Amino acid sequence: MTSAEIQARSAALRAFYPMRVIREQFGRSMIALAEQRGDLVALTADLMYATGMAPFGERFPERLINLGIAEQNMTGVAAGLASCGKLAVVCGYAAFTSLRAIEQAKVDCAYNEVKVILCGLSAGLSYGVGGPTHQTFEDVAIMRAIPNMTVVVPSDTIELDQALQAAAARPGDAPIYLRIGRGPEHAFNDTAAPFEIGRARKLREGRDISLIANGPMVVEALIAADILAEHGIGASVLNMHTVKPIDREAVLSEAANVRGMIVVEEHNIHGGLGSAVLEVLRGGHGFPVELIGIEDIYPPIGPTFALRESLGLCASAIVARAMAMPRRN
Amino acid sequence: MVSERQGGSATPQADGGNRLTAELARRAYNIRRHALRMGEVQGQGYVAQALGFADVLAVLYFQALRYNPADPHWEERDRCLLSIGHYAIALYAALIEAGVLPETEIESYGSDDSRLPMSGMASYTPGMEISGGSLGQGLPIAVGVCLGLKRKASRSFVYNLLSDGELNEGSTWEAAQSASHWQLDNLIAVVDVNNQQADGPSSQVMSFEPLEARWQSFGWHVARVDGNDLAALSEAFDSARNLQEPKPRVIICDTRMGRGVPFLEGREKAHFIRVDPDEWALALEQLRLEA
Ligand SMILES: Cc1ncc(C[n+]2csc(CCOP(=O)(O)OP(=O)(O)O)c2C)c(N)n1
Ligand SMILES: [Mg+2]
Repeated sequence: MTSAEIQARSAALRAFYPMRVIREQFGRSMIALAEQRGDLVALTADLMYATGMAPFGERFPERLINLGIAEQNMTGVAAGLASCGKLAVVCGYAAFTSLRAIEQAKVDCAYNEVKVILCGLSAGLSYGVGGPTHQTFEDVAIMRAIPNMTVVVPSDTIELDQALQAAAARPGDAPIYLRIGRGPEHAFNDTAAPFEIGRARKLREGRDISLIANGPMVVEALIAADILAEHGIGASVLNMHTVKPIDREAVLSEAANVRGMIVVEEHNIHGGLGSAVLEVLRGGHGFPVELIGIEDIYPPIGPTFALRESLGLCASAIVARAMAMPRRN
Repeated sequence: MVSERQGGSATPQADGGNRLTAELARRAYNIRRHALRMGEVQGQGYVAQALGFADVLAVLYFQALRYNPADPHWEERDRCLLSIGHYAIALYAALIEAGVLPETEIESYGSDDSRLPMSGMASYTPGMEISGGSLGQGLPIAVGVCLGLKRKASRSFVYNLLSDGELNEGSTWEAAQSASHWQLDNLIAVVDVNNQQADGPSSQVMSFEPLEARWQSFGWHVARVDGNDLAALSEAFDSARNLQEPKPRVIICDTRMGRGVPFLEGREKAHFIRVDPDEWALALEQLRLEA
């Protein structure tokens, strides 16, 4: 199959999934959560509109605290509110939630064990035109290295809603980082399928190759698996929405059942989901594992889907890699 | 275009002042035109900021700054650091008018292979000294550049362009305190106070007054002017350069967003404006040369 044929097939399969705007869903899900949880307080740093929180601000003006462009202060204030029994939800861009305010996330939230939900929107390449300051491909690595921090990367609007609900309902006092997109993305999850933090979701069965992905790369893996199946290659797809704690059993059971593995994420290949999977395997399974991600570069400035395509973060690139890679006998 | 512009001229004589102001007005008008034309290419953007800030940029690039359009890295240049990366469209317009960038590049604004991305990046654009986009990082860099230049016995000034929203960031004030601690008399901060940031009027998002007193208490020499009054700006930039006190200087410029285009001046949510395709022509038509 030529690469043009793969691309045409991938475009045809892609058309099957409706597009849903992530930040609008975020705003809706936050309103729904606030309706259930009287203790919820949302915080933003001059990004109320940009995070889809304007409708929330209209509905619950007294429960949206805008700190101005002061992300460090915001995260500290969130920790303080949480210590008073509030469910504090930080609504920021991933770049600033995970980088500018990282010590507040580590010390004030994680070390002190307060239950703050840290939301990082416009993550990955979802704000590609924002350039290197707004494209975020190091946040998972950073957050994952912080003890007591849970890291979840929802894959569409449906899973975003489920993840927010689960983050709020979680027992215990510890922060969680939700890595969230921005604009229109493919929606594919089954609203009825149960979601549990720390438990991967198997979306396709296959015995040749395992595709492990999260965030917007899950739908790419699904499309890739369908194309591979049409060519006699059985690809399983595992949605690893929780990077930390990673679902070890799911990874090990994939490893036992397939002849090769590709981990796909919209993140630097250093330190993200790929690294987390390799930490579980620890090289001891004698079969090839490949990582698809951002190859430790600053991507160019451009629109999301074109950027992903140019960087190989798309179904056709997964198919090509799967066909080319060696497989265990 | 002169190959080397000398800034910091002494305050001009009365009618010389009028001539200077008329020249600055023409430059400001052209800067607004360039910005509108770039806005039209994308149909949206931080255009209202560019219109509001054009007078300040005209005084900066055609009176205050020392630079060589043919050699943006000329060692003896004054440094102009755009801390507010989203104002890139405004700075490109000034750089075009200054002859640092060719006017023909307007058409490429914001497109994939352009040297003019939506956010100001040193790696992309001649004349762009730093990579902006993350607010609150410009003034700290400026402090470092001031220290570095002093250690080289350079007489260049460092201008740092900030906004009212950016004053929310703690790092801005950390830099402000260090600048006065080290008596950085080669530092001139320029703050665009348009009373607007992403979520609404700045004074409502996070109150910032009394602004002069805040900067003064941090040990700075402060001037506050109508940022759309060329004569006042001209005088403020000259005074900032000529001041003998060993202090960093800040020029607080109160500006009106959308200035010069009546139907954009009154716009709400002016932070990121969308303009209908047919309205750009109207905007260019409405734009008047003000003296
Ligand atoms: C550290 C950081 N936080 C948030 C943002 C997102 N952001 C971009 S522009 C902006 C508003 C900036 O305020 P100001 O420059 O006064 O806005 P304007 O006058 O241009 O409307 C915000 C919050 C950012 N770029 N950097
Ligand atoms: Mg402003």
